[in-house]
Amino acid sequence: MSTPNHHPGEDLLWDYHRGALAPGMALAMQTHAETCPHCRGDLRLFDIMGGAMLEELDGVAMSNNALDLALARIERPEADEVVETVRRPAFLEGFDLPESLKAVKIKNRHWAAPGVWMAPIELEGAPKGSKTYLMSVKSGLQMPEHTHRGREITVMLHGRYRDHKGRYGPGDFAMCDESDQNHTPSMEGDDDCLCLVVQEGPIVPQSLIAWILQPFAGI
Amino acid sequence: MKDDSLGPVITTPEALIARIAQSRDRQAYAQLFTRFAPKLKAFVMGQGMNAQEAEDLAQDVLLKVWRKAEMFDASKATAVTWIYSIARNLRIDAARKAKRTRELPEDLWQSEPPRPADQQLADSQSVHTINGLMETLPEEQKTILRLSFYEDLSHGDIAAALALPLGTVKSRLRLAMTRLKTAMAALVPGDRV
Ligand SMILES: [Zn+2]
Repeated sequence: MSTPNHHPGEDLLWDYHRGALAPGMALAMQTHAETCPHCRGDLRLFDIMGGAMLEELDGVAMSNNALDLALARIERPEADEVVETVRRPAFLEGFDLPESLKAVKIKNRHWAAPGVWMAPIELEGAPKGSKTYLMSVKSGLQMPEHTHRGREITVMLHGRYRDHKGRYGPGDFAMCDESDQNHTPSMEGDDDCLCLVVQEGPIVPQSLIAWILQPFAGI
Repeated sequence: MKDDSLGPVITTPEALIARIAQSRDRQAYAQLFTRFAPKLKAFVMGQGMNAQEAEDLAQDVLLKVWRKAEMFDASKATAVTWIYSIARNLRIDAARKAKRTRELPEDLWQSEPPRPADQQLADSQSVHTINGLMETLPEEQKTILRLSFYEDLSHGDIAAALALPLGTVKSRLRLAMTRLKTAMAALVPGDRV
């Protein structure tokens, strides 16, 4: 199996490590890291560095009864961990979803155009105006031309596409922003595309068809 | 309590965790707590928690070490790396007031099926020397690491704090990471980092 070629930058990796990303971005990072040994290695390196920094630090004294409290707490029975099972919608049967997406609530899909569906992902604490969804595009189609306000992340799950920056396959992490004018990704190969998309701001459609699609797509 | 003749002086935190995993050794836990709780408290206070929150977090981290001790794999990580990763997760949870801990890659250090193409990041032997390796980094890179880890700043914040371009901050961090990886790889012949 080939590993991804397109990766998030250091700054995103760092913000992911320290938990500073909004839920959609964090989900995109987690999904990418799951298939990317390179970024997993970087994240582990952050833990190794953090451990070393922790080791090096002079402690701040704990309160007098801290050890007694600690020794008492380990005697208490552990509350059962609540494992919430998330029901997977029927339309995702047969898709080999990464672990990161098995734990999130995926709502029903809607058809944005013939051959194009989108399924919103519900994330607690997602900032207003941001959107996270799964998108499937039938092979051979071209996405509506659009520009971005704010960043848009795409993590490929299945299939391949190409845009002005390069070719993308499973696991690849693609980020677009305002500087990517008139972004027109097109699908490659015989497989339908499935990807995770995170938008920090609304997409601005450039073509008539995209304007027509907008109310359906909720973008 | 068990007898003290086992000699706490030479006991590594890895051995303490192993004793907890094998026999729920409370004396080992007390030693581990005494060694790491104050450091954890200091660490998260530097990142902005108040003394009480920091103390609670240190308690929770070590409680988790007690409960998950059998999941610790010394061939994958040192004890301090593992403890740090638990602290990181709990701190983020606390910040989000989230009920669930699933979103974050907590299991980064738990067993993972071997993948041939995977980067084998340093086994615990090489990790032991990571402090020594970090000492060898140029001061300008160490400064970035200190601001990153001890003050929990983004690269944008660090750029502002040091009046440097963002690209310089990112590239210094990348240089430090590459240097550490290379040095760690050299310590473990045959291990790709
Ligand atoms: Zn990557």
